[in-house]
Amino acid sequence: MPAPVDRRLVVVTGKGGTGKSTISAAVALAAARRGKKVLVCEVVAKERVADLFGRPPSGTEIRQLLPNLYSVHVRPREAMREYALMILKYETLYRLAFENAAARYFLAAAPSLAEIVMLGKVFWHAARETERGRLRWDMVVLDAPATGHGLTFLSVPEVFLRLVSEGPLARDMRMMQALLADPERCSICIVTLPEEMPANEAIELDRALRERQFPAGPLFLNAVFESRFSPQEIAAVTRGGPLLTAAGEAADNHESRAALCRHYEGVLRDTVPRNLVKVPFLFERSFGAHAIEKVSHAIEGAL
Amino acid sequence: MRPLDGRKIVCCVGSGGVGKTTTAAALALGAAMEGKRALVLTIDPARRLANSLGLKALGNAETRIDLTARGEMWAMMLNLKRSWDELVRRNARSAEQAQAILDNKLYQTLSTAMAGSLEYIAMEKVLELYSSGRFDVVVLDTPPTSNALDFLHAPDRVLDVLDNNAMRIVLGPMLKAGKLGLRLLAAPSGLVLRTLARFTGSDFLRDLAEFMMAFEGMYEGFKERAANVKALLSSPQTGFVLVTSPNPLATQEALFFHRALERDGIRTAAVVVNRVQRDPRRHGGPDNLAALEEALQLAQIKDENRLSERLCETLTEQAILADLDRREVERLRDMLRGVPLFTVPRLRKDVHDLAGLWQIGEYLGGD
Repeated sequence: MPAPVDRRLVVVTGKGGTGKSTISAAVALAAARRGKKVLVCEVVAKERVADLFGRPPSGTEIRQLLPNLYSVHVRPREAMREYALMILKYETLYRLAFENAAARYFLAAAPSLAEIVMLGKVFWHAARETERGRLRWDMVVLDAPATGHGLTFLSVPEVFLRLVSEGPLARDMRMMQALLADPERCSICIVTLPEEMPANEAIELDRALRERQFPAGPLFLNAVFESRFSPQEIAAVTRGGPLLTAAGEAADNHESRAALCRHYEGVLRDTVPRNLVKVPFLFERSFGAHAIEKVSHAIEGAL
Repeated sequence: MRPLDGRKIVCCVGSGGVGKTTTAAALALGAAMEGKRALVLTIDPARRLANSLGLKALGNAETRIDLTARGEMWAMMLNLKRSWDELVRRNARSAEQAQAILDNKLYQTLSTAMAGSLEYIAMEKVLELYSSGRFDVVVLDTPPTSNALDFLHAPDRVLDVLDNNAMRIVLGPMLKAGKLGLRLLAAPSGLVLRTLARFTGSDFLRDLAEFMMAFEGMYEGFKERAANVKALLSSPQTGFVLVTSPNPLATQEALFFHRALERDGIRTAAVVVNRVQRDPRRHGGPDNLAALEEALQLAQIKDENRLSERLCETLTEQAILADLDRREVERLRDMLRGVPLFTVPRLRKDVHDLAGLWQIGEYLGGD
């Protein structure tokens, strides 16, 4: 099986607030450094990756952030329109069919139509070829939305195909499903934190992804505190008198967080059969390009 | 509990992973200690907290927590699918009608996957529990993924989908056309239908039409119920507590929620900032390398393996974290002027038992 960095589509999933955008940006940066041409697709309401590189938001147009590194914000409304026009060809027909009360009703009722068109758009990017018939992008990184289970988005083709079996959307969803299931071309990563809820969610997400036979990428354990003091040192400093109260508390705080990290790392190693990649906690006053650079070096080996 | 401020219904809202469930449970526990009959309704609790609340074996029913208190504490975990099924059964005109809906293959998708569906059913459950008169306080822990708009507009969204009129315009001809197919349909709805069918195929549209037909006659009941849910959201007895961590992404979400509430004329009852890093420098003492080396020497601790350097680095790092958190809390206080703000420090361990909840309650102004 090819290394994650050699696959066409890398999906980054996980609970909200675990650092999916950071990891997506870092994966993209690490790949771009190796000479890959990379596009990051963001599908959540607010675009973040361009900002992490200190660039203005890309919006729905592809923008270059760094050499070899591009990003685009896939939004449901625009994706729906583009997609509809690709099939319908005529703007007037689109307006007639989609911009009325009945269609609004239809769009609300159709299962996850917003997700479907967004996933369709990402797929379109991943499959897009240049005029010479080569792939436009060596790698597309999908920063997946923070759903309760992270799985809804990836299951969209399956759910949709259960209800709808004909038509152009069904055809595209079938191709998307094939790409998402292909370990030669796709890798699905999970991002988590050394805390109870994110760790539990990662365990459930991993199980559900494997049950559906999605190709298992690395598990990124983000914001890790490594142990720095021995219990004897903590005890000595804590008893060291008023001059060392602050230092003792800081050291004790650090070790209690490191202990939690060790605990969850152990739990995750025992239950999640994936390559676990630790990303150190970064003490940055502002989280920008410099921080992403550090993260990208920390995860490089796993790609 | 001060964030409750005498309110009967409290919705804890905020982004995922900020300690919403814990805060909701701590508020309910505090109310029970004050002598109230309090219920916490949760959606997706962390496993160990669920265990300590006795929620593991629970279905869709409330259970009493075993504790010594003047009042009572109850907890319940909401089951989305079962709650919708119950709602359909209650509102159906006959058992046959209920069954026809429950059997429809679109119903499951609609009830579990439609945006706002979980938020709506949660509020619906709150209304039901509160109206039962069995509880003085109901605390709702909202779904982890909810955003403000999903929550506030859930009743409208649900009604929009169930509204038969819009459906009749577009899908009515479809039912009449039956097996003859779409080509025979008259314009303009025929054109709209044919166009939509190019995306989804006509089977889906037919399923949808059948689902709506099965729903016939139930809309009025739903509408009335949804109006009550909506009224409950903006009632003065209801309070929204914004829960956040000092993480800028989380505070952003909290502020967004606050503004959405304001736009709907609802005042935020309180904001709770969890996991605030305390600054170790508040104790004073040396914080640079030379002074730390000296302090170790004075305390007769050997400076082995660069202990002084490690201590210095750790102090600096935690000062950075504390500064960032302080700045974020101040920013929040500034933007939410007039809203009571409570901070809960980062505790050394995860909270997963009643003692832990009690400890949190103290920071929320319990007695």
